[in-house]
This record gives sequence, structure tokens and C-alpha cells, in this order.
Amino acid sequence: MAKRVPQDKGIPADKGVLSNKGISSKNGTNKSVGKRMYEYRYIYLLGIPGIIVLILFNYLPMKGLLMAFQNYNPHLGITGSEWVGLKHFSTLFHDAKFYLMLKNTLVISGLSLLTFPAPIILALLMNEVRNRTYQKFVQTAVYLPHFLSWTIIVSLTFFLLSTEQGLVNKIAVEMGNDPTSYLFSKVWIYPIIVIQSVWKGIGWGSIVYLAAISGIDQGLFEAAKIDGATKFQQIFKITIPCILPTVVVMLILKMGTIISVDFEQVFLMNNAMVKSKLEVFEIYIYNNSIATGSTQYSYSTAIGMFKSLVNTSLVILTNWITTRKGFEGVL
Amino acid sequence: MSTVALQNTKKRKSKKLGMKAKTLIGQLILDFILLLLAATMILPFVYILMVSFTDGSVFISGKFTLWPEKWSLDAYKLILNGSGFLNAMKSTLFITLIGTPLNVIVNAGLGYMLSKPVPGKSFINKAVMFTMLFGAGMVPAYINISNLGLINSWFACILPAACGAWTVMVMKSFFMSIPDELEEAAKIDGCGPLRIFAVIVLPLSKAVIATFTLFALVSYWNTYFSAIMYITSSDKMPLQVYLQKIVLTSNISDVVDIQIDLANTVPQEVMRMAAVIVVVLPVICIYPFLQKYFAKGVMIGAVKG
Repeated sequence: MAKRVPQDKGIPADKGVLSNKGISSKNGTNKSVGKRMYEYRYIYLLGIPGIIVLILFNYLPMKGLLMAFQNYNPHLGITGSEWVGLKHFSTLFHDAKFYLMLKNTLVISGLSLLTFPAPIILALLMNEVRNRTYQKFVQTAVYLPHFLSWTIIVSLTFFLLSTEQGLVNKIAVEMGNDPTSYLFSKVWIYPIIVIQSVWKGIGWGSIVYLAAISGIDQGLFEAAKIDGATKFQQIFKITIPCILPTVVVMLILKMGTIISVDFEQVFLMNNAMVKSKLEVFEIYIYNNSIATGSTQYSYSTAIGMFKSLVNTSLVILTNWITTRKGFEGVL
Repeated sequence: MSTVALQNTKKRKSKKLGMKAKTLIGQLILDFILLLLAATMILPFVYILMVSFTDGSVFISGKFTLWPEKWSLDAYKLILNGSGFLNAMKSTLFITLIGTPLNVIVNAGLGYMLSKPVPGKSFINKAVMFTMLFGAGMVPAYINISNLGLINSWFACILPAACGAWTVMVMKSFFMSIPDELEEAAKIDGCGPLRIFAVIVLPLSKAVIATFTLFALVSYWNTYFSAIMYITSSDKMPLQVYLQKIVLTSNISDVVDIQIDLANTVPQEVMRMAAVIVVVLPVICIYPFLQKYFAKGVMIGAVKG
């Protein structure tokens, strides 16, 4: 993520004669803010559309968080609805459904955390490929799923695993076995979801590590070779320690999302049989507010707010820990 | 003495040869593992591509192989002629063609502004970063969209995604890496700030712009969730929603919305696969051309910058 770039560090912005990139460097340092803003008017013009979008679609909705403390009534609006304080939050913490959702979310996230090393291993493998053309080919293939929508991936899963039309079951029937309804099975649903995520994300995730590996000083490997280090020793003693900071940063980002699951994926994989396994916050919120148009707006907002707060705290916390451990953080 | 030395070199040589053979075998195993992985990414598409071209009668008789015995375009004819597809395509094209340029301009503009020492920069910077940390959630976003009067408008799918903090930050750090001298020189030649941005900065940032154009293009093409949230009339739904309906419905001709009795001769499964190919094709076609850009430049910048 964006960290301090040299220009930011050295020169204080308010005296930025040198850092002004020539636009306001006409005569000296003591210009009033208003004057300098005027000089940058065209630059502001370029930034304003983005600021407007962020205000309209990221900051304006935060007003809606007030609904979590009300019995929101769409006809009365936020100003007219009745205030109930923390009622929804106390209902939330006494709701058995809440703990089910929390459990499901953590199980799904935990399982996907287990696959965290997959892109690292892929990057290490791809880095060892000698033939450039072959490496390019493998890269092109493994990056592709990242660009596919969940509708496509779920469709592929359907073609592969559905009871009547799925390839796996067709083969099973051909061989004289009974078909298995994988998509409606409480046992299979988690493995399927995890495999889908790995399939979609492994290639894309490996780019970051490949970049980190290519940044390692080649001299280290040369020296190790002269000392007679084997390929495996080189990987474990040089490559992995060198990319560790990147691994830590990626782990932080992953930890920050541990309370969220990919809504589109879970939404599309959902069906009556596996509902209890895939009941997560987003699904509940969607089903109880927007989908049904029911009056549970306030309660749903409270759930969403709880999730957002946990999310934010997790990112800040993990960032704090890693910065203290001496690694570069992400914020 | 000399024979011993000779033996030693021979020994060493054979040991070296052994090592070489070992690394060669290692390489082959490695290449094979990666080939398997690449195959899991490519083969599903080869499979559905072949099925989608298979003649219905051959498919039903179960004589399907990876190379169809009898080819047929019927499934595509049905899909492409149905009014369901045409409506969905219209929606997706609108969202993608309006959204992509807008997204790139908005992000690049804000990124450029933050790369300059404008007054208030650090505050705006923090405000942009904050959107990455904390979001209001689904229901407030929905209420907000409805307050803005964007329900059932394609702009509800376009505008909220038009500016992203991560994109802005990556663009910003890229713009900061452009040498000041270039802009300085243009300024002396009498170029205004807007022209400098359009004529000097953007062309120099081709790799970043290309990458984020691809990202925007793909994400608008893949619009799904915002559509089911904000779009209410079914004839305004985009392609991804249409595809989901086709794959999950039990009676496909309702979704495809076509009258011809050809629908009875083409198995639903073949039609489903043809639909997947139609929806996925643009993404597969565009992406290899832009791959050279994102493989290097941007992602490295994103991690380090």
C-alpha cells in the first residue's frame, strides 16, 4: 500500500519551494494558503471528481450508521425515526444466529488461511523454471482465473460437480458408482469453497512474491553456490528469509479480512441444503433487508457495523504488531 | 601419483554428471507440476468450448469426446438471438463502456492531485486511506443509493466503483516517480497544468493506465452484486446475472426468451456452456495483451510504493 515516498519525507509541505515541482515556485516561501490553492486550481480540478465520488459513495453512507441506534422507518428517514440506543447490539449478542454466523465466517476464513502459503509455494516453483517461454505460459494460465467473475466460476463448478450434469458424476456413473450430490452436501461445501478460492487466487497472489523474489540480490545466490549450497538450501536459507517482509505484509492484509467472506461466492454457492453452513453476516444482512424489503434495516445495519468495526480493529492491530516486530507495516 | 589424480578428476566428473542429471530430473518434475496446475486453469474452458459446439443429438447419445463428432452452432444461435441476452448485453456494454473511462480518469486525476504538494494534501490522503479501512456496510450503502435516486439505474453499478483508494494510491506513487524536469520543461514551454497532465504525464504512465483500464474493464464486465442490489427491473440486468439465471434455472428457454422450437433440439447443458463461453470470451481475449504491463510495473509499485 502507499507508504511514504521520498518527496513526502524530506521537505515540509508548507515550505515546499523545491518540492512544488515548479508550479508555485515563482517567488519564495511566504505565500498564503489561499494563494497557493489558487495556483493549484487546475490540479484540484483533476482531483475533484474522485473526491466527490468518495464523499457521495463512501462518506455519505456513514450517516446511515445512525440507523443502528434507531428503529429505522424508511418513511420517516433518519431524522424522524425513533432512537433506541444500543438495543440492536444487545439483541445481536444474545442472538444464537449471530454466533452461528460468526462461527461459519471464522471457519471459512480459517480454512482459507490454511491455504495462505499456496501462492508463496507457486512463486518459489515458478521462479525455478529455466525456460522463459514456459514460465510466461504458466503465468498466463494461472493469472487468468483472477479475472473471472464468481458467476463463471460457480458455473464451472456446476458443470464439474452437479448431480446430473456434472462431469465427475458422469464418470462415476459410467464406472458403475452412484452419483454424489456434492453441491448439496454439508460435508463437501467447505472444501469446494476453499478450492474455488485457491483456484481463483493462487496465480494472482503469487505475483507479489515473484516480484519480491526478483528483487533479491543475485550475489547472495552466487556466493551460496560457491559455498556448495544445494537448490533447497538456497531456497530455505536465502529466498524465503528475503521475502519474509512481503509475506508478513500479505498476512496482515489477510488477517484484516478474517471476519469477511467473499459475498458473491457464498451467495452463489448457497442453497437450501447447505444454508446453515453458509449463513454469514453479509448473507444475513442481504436477506433481511434488501432482498425482502423487510423492516429489519436497523438490525442489519448494526450487524454490518459490528463487522466493519472488528475488521478495522483487526487491520490496525495486526499492523501495530508487525511494526513493533520490526517489519514494515502497511498503513 | 598421476593415475590417482586422474581417477579423482574422473570421480569428480561423474559426480558432477550425476548432479546434472539430478537437476535435470528436478526441472522436469517442476515443469510437470506447473503444467498440471496450468491445465486445471485452461482445461475447463477447453471442455465447455467443445461441448458448446457439439451437436445436440451427439451429446444426448452420450458419445461425447473432447473433439466433437458433429459440430453445431445451434446453441450459440439460440443464446445470441434471445431477447434476454440482447437486453443483458446492452446493460453490460453500457456499464462497461461508460464506467471504464470514467473510472480511469477519476482515479488518475485524484492520484495526480495527491502526487503534488497541494494545500490540504495530507488530509485528503488520510481521508482516501480511511475508505480502505472502514466501510459503512451494505444497508447504509443501499439507503444512500436510494436517497440519491439511483435505484434501477446503471449508474448505481458504475459510480460507487469509480474511485478506489488502492488504485488512487498506486497511481499517486507512480506519478511521483516521474522526473520533475519533464513537467518543468513543458511548463517553461508554456504548457498549462491540465495539458501537462494530458500530454506529458499520462503518456509516460502507459503501463499503469493500461493495467487499471484492464482492472476497471473486467470489474465492470463482471458486475453482479451491485446489479442484484440496485437494479430492480429484470430487463436491465447485466450479463452476469443473466448467466447465473441460465445456469441455475430448470427451464432455460424462459431465461433465454426465445420462441423457436430449436430450443427443444439443443440440450440445456450445451446452451449453458455456450452462455458461459459468450460471457467469458471478452475477458479471455483482452487479458493476454495487457498481461505484459501488469506482470512487472504496477504490482511491484503496489507492494513497495
